[in-house]
Amino acid sequence: MAGPQDTPPLRNRRPGRNSPRIPQSDLDDDHTVIHPTGPRARSQIEQLLDTDEASAVLVALLTLLAFALRFYKINHPDQVVFDEVHFGKFASHYIKREYYFDVHPPLAKLLYGLAGWFVGFDGDFKFENIGDSYTEAHVPYVGMRALPAILGSMTVPIVYAIMKESGYSSIIAAFSACLVLFDNAHIAQSRLILLDAPLIFFMTLTMYSYIKFRKYRYLEFSPEWWMWLIATGTFMACTWASKVNGILTVVAIGIAVLIDLWDILDIKKGHSMEYFWKHFMARAAALIALPIILYLSFFWVHLAVLTNSGPGDSFMSPAFQETLRNNEMLLNSQEVRYYDTLTIRHKDTRVFLHSHPERYPLKYDDGRISSQGQQVTGYGHDDSNNLWQVIPTKALPETGRGRIVRHEDVVQLLHVNTQTLLLTHDVASPTMPTNEEFTTWPKDDHSRYNDTLFHLRLVDSHPGAALRTKSGLFKLIHVPTKVAMWTFPGQLPDWAFKQQEVNGKKEVNDKTAVWFADEIVASEDGEVKSVEEMGHKEPKQMNFFKKFGELQLLMLQHNAGLTASHPYASGPFNWPFLISGISFWTQTEGQKQIYLIGNLIGWWTCVVGLSVFIGILGADMLARRRGIVPFPDEVCNRLWNSTGFFLVVWAVHYLPFFLMGRQLFLHHYLPSHLASALIAGAVLQFILSETINFPISIRGPHTRPKPRQYADVGMKGPIIVGVFALAMFALYVYLAPLTYGTPGLTGEQVNSKRLLSTWTLHFAAKTTDAAP
Amino acid sequence: MSASVRVRRTASPPPGLAQPVHTQRFPNPRRDILDADEKRAAASRGYGPGRKLHPFGGLNLEPAEWKLLILIIIVAFGVRLFRISKPNSVVKLALSFDICHAMCCAFLTLPVDRFDEVHFGKFASRYIKSQYFVDVHPPLAKLLITLAGWLSGYDGDFDFKDIAKVYSNVPYVAMRMVPAMLGVFTVPIAYLTLRALECRATTALLASLFITFENGMITQSRHILLDSPLIFFTALTVLLWTGFCNEDKHEPFTESWWLWLTLTGLSLGAVVSCKWVGLFTIATVGLGTIKQLWTLLGDMRVTPRLWVRHFMARALCLIAVPLFFYMFMFWIHFAILSNSGEGDGFMSSEFQHTLRGRWMADTNADVAIGSLVTIRHVNTQGGYLHSHPHNYPGGSGQQQITLYPHRDSNNDWRIVNATESGDPYVDWEKGPITYVTSGTRVKLRHTSTDKSLHSHDYRPPVSDVDFQNEVSAYGMAGFVGDANDDWIVEIHKGDDKDRDSGKRLRTLRTQFRLRHALTGCYLFSHKVKLPDWAYEQQEVTCNKQAVMDNSLWYVETSIHPNFPADAPKVNYRIPGFLSKFLELQQVMWTTNAGLTDRHTYDSRPDSWPRLRRGINFWVKDHRQIYLLGNPIIWWLSTASVLFYIAIRGFLILRAKRGFRDFENTKVVKYDTLCGFLFVGWSLHYFPFFLMGRQLFLHHYFPALYFAILLCCGVFDLVTSTLRPRVRLQIAAVLLIIAIWNYAYFSPLVYGNTWTKAKCRKAQWVKTWDFSCNDFLDSYSDYNAGVGAATPQKSPAVATVGGEAGGRGAVVVEDNLGGAANLPPEDKADTTTIAFGQAEPGHDIFGGNDLEKSSQVNEPAVEPGEQEPKEVSVVMAAQQTSGVVQDAAEPDAVENESEEDSTSEAVPDATSDSQPEPEKTEGPQGETEEEAERARKELFPEERFRWRDSSLGTVTISQTGAPSTYRRMVQRAVNGSFVELGLLLLASCGVVSLTAINPAHQNIPLRTRCMPAKDSRFRIISQEWGMLTDGTYIKPQQATQRQAYPLALQEDRHMHCSKPLTTLLVVLFTLAMGVAARPTPIECEPPGGGDNDRRRAVDMNEDSALVPSCVV
Repeated sequence: MAGPQDTPPLRNRRPGRNSPRIPQSDLDDDHTVIHPTGPRARSQIEQLLDTDEASAVLVALLTLLAFALRFYKINHPDQVVFDEVHFGKFASHYIKREYYFDVHPPLAKLLYGLAGWFVGFDGDFKFENIGDSYTEAHVPYVGMRALPAILGSMTVPIVYAIMKESGYSSIIAAFSACLVLFDNAHIAQSRLILLDAPLIFFMTLTMYSYIKFRKYRYLEFSPEWWMWLIATGTFMACTWASKVNGILTVVAIGIAVLIDLWDILDIKKGHSMEYFWKHFMARAAALIALPIILYLSFFWVHLAVLTNSGPGDSFMSPAFQETLRNNEMLLNSQEVRYYDTLTIRHKDTRVFLHSHPERYPLKYDDGRISSQGQQVTGYGHDDSNNLWQVIPTKALPETGRGRIVRHEDVVQLLHVNTQTLLLTHDVASPTMPTNEEFTTWPKDDHSRYNDTLFHLRLVDSHPGAALRTKSGLFKLIHVPTKVAMWTFPGQLPDWAFKQQEVNGKKEVNDKTAVWFADEIVASEDGEVKSVEEMGHKEPKQMNFFKKFGELQLLMLQHNAGLTASHPYASGPFNWPFLISGISFWTQTEGQKQIYLIGNLIGWWTCVVGLSVFIGILGADMLARRRGIVPFPDEVCNRLWNSTGFFLVVWAVHYLPFFLMGRQLFLHHYLPSHLASALIAGAVLQFILSETINFPISIRGPHTRPKPRQYADVGMKGPIIVGVFALAMFALYVYLAPLTYGTPGLTGEQVNSKRLLSTWTLHFAAKTTDAAP
Repeated sequence: MSASVRVRRTASPPPGLAQPVHTQRFPNPRRDILDADEKRAAASRGYGPGRKLHPFGGLNLEPAEWKLLILIIIVAFGVRLFRISKPNSVVKLALSFDICHAMCCAFLTLPVDRFDEVHFGKFASRYIKSQYFVDVHPPLAKLLITLAGWLSGYDGDFDFKDIAKVYSNVPYVAMRMVPAMLGVFTVPIAYLTLRALECRATTALLASLFITFENGMITQSRHILLDSPLIFFTALTVLLWTGFCNEDKHEPFTESWWLWLTLTGLSLGAVVSCKWVGLFTIATVGLGTIKQLWTLLGDMRVTPRLWVRHFMARALCLIAVPLFFYMFMFWIHFAILSNSGEGDGFMSSEFQHTLRGRWMADTNADVAIGSLVTIRHVNTQGGYLHSHPHNYPGGSGQQQITLYPHRDSNNDWRIVNATESGDPYVDWEKGPITYVTSGTRVKLRHTSTDKSLHSHDYRPPVSDVDFQNEVSAYGMAGFVGDANDDWIVEIHKGDDKDRDSGKRLRTLRTQFRLRHALTGCYLFSHKVKLPDWAYEQQEVTCNKQAVMDNSLWYVETSIHPNFPADAPKVNYRIPGFLSKFLELQQVMWTTNAGLTDRHTYDSRPDSWPRLRRGINFWVKDHRQIYLLGNPIIWWLSTASVLFYIAIRGFLILRAKRGFRDFENTKVVKYDTLCGFLFVGWSLHYFPFFLMGRQLFLHHYFPALYFAILLCCGVFDLVTSTLRPRVRLQIAAVLLIIAIWNYAYFSPLVYGNTWTKAKCRKAQWVKTWDFSCNDFLDSYSDYNAGVGAATPQKSPAVATVGGEAGGRGAVVVEDNLGGAANLPPEDKADTTTIAFGQAEPGHDIFGGNDLEKSSQVNEPAVEPGEQEPKEVSVVMAAQQTSGVVQDAAEPDAVENESEEDSTSEAVPDATSDSQPEPEKTEGPQGETEEEAERARKELFPEERFRWRDSSLGTVTISQTGAPSTYRRMVQRAVNGSFVELGLLLLASCGVVSLTAINPAHQNIPLRTRCMPAKDSRFRIISQEWGMLTDGTYIKPQQATQRQAYPLALQEDRHMHCSKPLTTLLVVLFTLAMGVAARPTPIECEPPGGGDNDRRRAVDMNEDSALVPSCVV
């Protein structure tokens, strides 16, 4: 860890990070109140701790502890826990190379796949249900769980390094590290195959790199400067590619960079526009172009690995699916010709378009009246009543490609068993008065000819495209009344054998009104090629960017679609206060459970730290507005720029959740919690001592030397931090059974662990239910 | 944010030199002349602007400008009030929009309604009749409308429900005048605001005329809607705030400074009392205040003490005053609405207790063995523990136990001791008084059916899970029952102020649980409705893992015959104003947040500045009203916002690179001016992006007001270097374009005649979905009125019937007398409901015909009538000729053409998509159209003859919960005539029918009603078929224990068999006929009904009040 004494006592122009608010305070030496504390004037303990050796020992100790706490009983439970059910499954898909779909970018899952492959996981175990046993299936799950545990452990020394690099005392850095180290939530989250440990690891690395980069700002365009700039971009891309939330890290760094560039643009700095553009381009290259390339390349790997058909097929467009080996659509797709008899299925609910001789009842329960026509329903099973024949409405050539059913054709559909034509009209459907009833009409009766005409509109197609089975999604638009054939998972009453209702929906653009031809049962000449006859088909090729674009769009849509309520979902406002946790796993036998909950002391300390910090900033602003300088400019700059950066990271990783409609969980706060731990450290330093390590940036060729000063938190620092770490450790141990899921707890013990009444622990003794 | 900027440079005429400026023909365009108008003014008075001259509020108006203002007002008056009375039917109004209607579907039982003129008109009626209601908007604007109506003599009787009914005796013009006049006054306010912001008179004139000719604002202010008051008060606030800023810059703490500040506060209170959107205005002013205070803080000449004074003054006037004003409005609201009404159901029991009619008599404070009690569920609004003589279809098959929200004798339970031997149901009378304490083992006897509350190991009907048991009523008279009837009282908590309530059961004060003695489960209820067979009342179960909140109960009333007369009594604590106020705020908030249903014409905020789409308010008679802005004004305002953003961004960048733009007086002046307006625009626009609820184009209007002012500010900036005459010419060109646009789209504003061709041409943007096909081909067709009404085929499909997500506009085709030419077959093929109507001389109470009509799927055809028809709900005789004649009335609305197309397509299918009444998302338009048709068929008064039956005359009055009544009317209007009939039936003894026929609203309706011995009308239930035995309800049936009160508790559909429907509709028709007879009121003295059910029918009725006339 590079301590400030590594750098020669130079005068740097600006410590910490820049802020547009006090653009020239460092130029204004009259106002700076320097406390020239020499390196020797500090307390013994500070001098001791500030040495490289002490720092190394501290880091080693923290790292060892982190590994110990995260690896302790990592084999327990030997069952699928919480979201391992997803991410473990994805790892197995990578190993099997089967295509899957998920809302999160692939990097972290690729790593899990890699880890699984490395430890010899064959991918046969499918992580079907929470609670499935690993041991019985001989899954090397410990190896896979080791990956997040390692990353989670490594986060702790990085936190230390961030604080150290930002110029705080070693003991303060240790304090921030302890807040993460002893935190039950971080520990629980990084012992399982989940995405948060990699996300947080890469996020801390990004912050670290950016701080290093900022320290080299006086040596602009030097190799180190470039190195850290590129490192920032790289880790940023990794964060982003680990989990969707990582985009927030990109935003946080983006804000910091914009503030930085805004400073450079300031005329008072005396830089020319060329100089500004040079800086701008460097950042654009390293922080925009590079991450995008990396992000794309992760997806490229993702798509290159997943070449076989798998559970994710059905999410994708037909064209995409045809690039997957053994995909059903690829194998079975063939062109539909007129007079072919085929089955038609609804895309979302997978029911067949069905009809049977039974008729709609004259009157429904709510008093409306039907046409008493033949019922048209959706039916989930194979049946000869599912067969429909495509009848042309135009003259056809005798043979050849002219007989193929194409996009925008107007067709009739003949129900083969009853020899009636599909029809819809302006009669309310059985359950939805707003939609039109579908029925059929005898083939020979031409009185309703117009009502039997349907416009066949292929989805995402071009003129002249042929209708293909499996792959060709289409809408059937009724020609006279412009409704689309539609069905939804709503059952009809007994008179229709509880089959699904099919009706005409007026919103033609509805995405759920999509059907496809499932299979050609018979063609006009009676010949149907079987799959074998068509032979083995090679997957088609598709442009990577097209695939990526489609996948990315789907991910966004599905992420926004995760709005169903979840018993353990919680609102963002609850998070910092640790109002409620998440039950990850329970085992009735032995009354074991894993409950994601943080270390109450640590989290509340962070909240206090945050509010104190915001209070300090507010007081500083007000005081300066009245011409009072409450503390020296160096301290002020450190607060605004360095701690301010942490605050930006915290806010950017937290506040957007208030706007999100999707399911939110406590673990979404973990990145913000880490940032708030950094703030808590900075606030502790501020409270303990007015002195700071200054300057900490690397001196450039043109920077004016400044008097150096050293931070000194004295003896009280280590004592406070030590006591605090002990208290945290004690609470951590107390809550450990909830974090590790072992040992089991009796009802009374569970009650005693329930520090807040809002924690919904399992196996609680029912004291509250007893008679009053 | 501050409104003006101090002049830094003296204008050209030196002080004292009275040189008229107009002689200087070519002022130097390069010079930063601050304000030519001002300069001229100063010069004409003999001194230059450099001298300290401070007009009131910084408003420096020329005498000539006052004349100009009057002229502007006259123009605005003409534009806003042109033919304001024209839509003289409710129908027209009925299709106006607002948001409220979603409330109905989103919430409990409140009749949710169209949000429209009907809606707010209805509220006015409620105010006048003091019937409590709940709305999502604060009361000020509604109070103003009511005031106008009241001053003009409106008595609140018009129901605003009956569609297409011409307003009669309703001073609707006066009520429309409120928003219209406020709309007119917005115009001079805009002028004054810009003048106070130191713009030139030309600019101010341009702005005021832009506002005048903004089609959207005109449309919105011509109807009884809340947006016009909102915009007015927003504008007023901006003006007052600007004035205050000017005063503040001049000299703080003067008298006029205080005046402007206080007025701003009051105006802020008024904005937020119109609609909660007013909070954005508060935010705008708040931001301005913060900026002022921040500037003051940085001003070292301001001492901390002075700063605190500034701060306190603003806090007082801008926080306390608006808050006080807002609360005062609610105080008035509560003071007026002292009677029970449809809004009761939203409020807590304590709140309801404060409403007249909901008031509850004092009841015994103690509950002892033998007390007759009613028990309420604490956590849900489900109501009372209830049983009725119907059995569970599954499970044990025993009698149902439910929660029922209304007071009823079926809610009465007797608490008896379960530990004694002997017959506890009798013994209690002899024993000493024993209070019920925690741990007492009791049985609960349902007194009207002689069954006890019982639980056993059957799964409940809906919550079919292992840990819940069914609760039923079991036993018979004389049967002691078994141990499954035993429950143990567990007191959960008492009231702090009543110490005894924690120890023993006290009425209203003690919350307790009932544990089933044998299985240990707790009596439990939750918001789960039972199916139709239990009238969708709330499920009651016995839950072994009961959540505490849902298993708590309290005793609401308690009567013990052995208690001495002076036994302590209790009642609900009457909540103070503050707690009522807070409760209502909370209800409004929840309701508002629940308005998330999609609507056909809703839109997202991003589409507003583009004017992507309007709102269809009303379509009828080949005319329509469509809310659409003036495109030029709209787009210009949006462009100027973008222009400001671009310029400001550019200036910031320049400043960063050392350009000293912000030291230029002109830049500073316009930056302050436009910045203020831009912030106002942003704060009235961007917050909508955060709202998930239904949003409509008219939510943009407050922001649009700012945008128009900003647009004129930009105009002032752009033309600042030009000569005044050139500037005036440019303004004139802009104005002419705007007025041309206004005129071009004005048929949509006023509902005037238009032609198809012109309409199509006017569809500049594809997404403007006014329906051009509704207009006629040429203007002459409108005058001809005949024949031209070519029955349209399918095109109109687009609008009729609406869409699943919301209520579509209704295209109601009127054939303008052309109906007479239509062959009768068309009539017969109508696909909607045909209403039965008693033919002259037919005694419906004789019953035989009814039976026939009800049991056969054919109308009760009179010989010589038209051929049978099938209709979805009712078949009944119909006199073709009469109907056709009706249709020939000019006002009549038909949609023959619609039906034609349908019926041609489906010769054998006569059912139309009839909306289910409880679904507001259904196609309401169709509803209205049906209602309209029904109305015509129902009220051919001249042909209707009433014959007395042997059942005697009953006068109907309002004895039941008005909410019930409302709901029914609501449903009736929503299109289910089944329920309209029910309404009639129920009204015998439950509600007044006065409001059903607005045409005769001043005549209390009377109808025949069966004699019921009970105080309330009862319908023999479940087997509705019983009603069709020819005589409808038989007295002896009504007195049977099986009688079941018409349970109309929840917002839901009544399932009735077709015969019943027929009957009911015929009855309804009769009732209407009776109503039509101008006979004096006949009223029998009130029966022995409960006091609280009796209420005056109508405060304003000059005839004797009609108390509950119970037979």
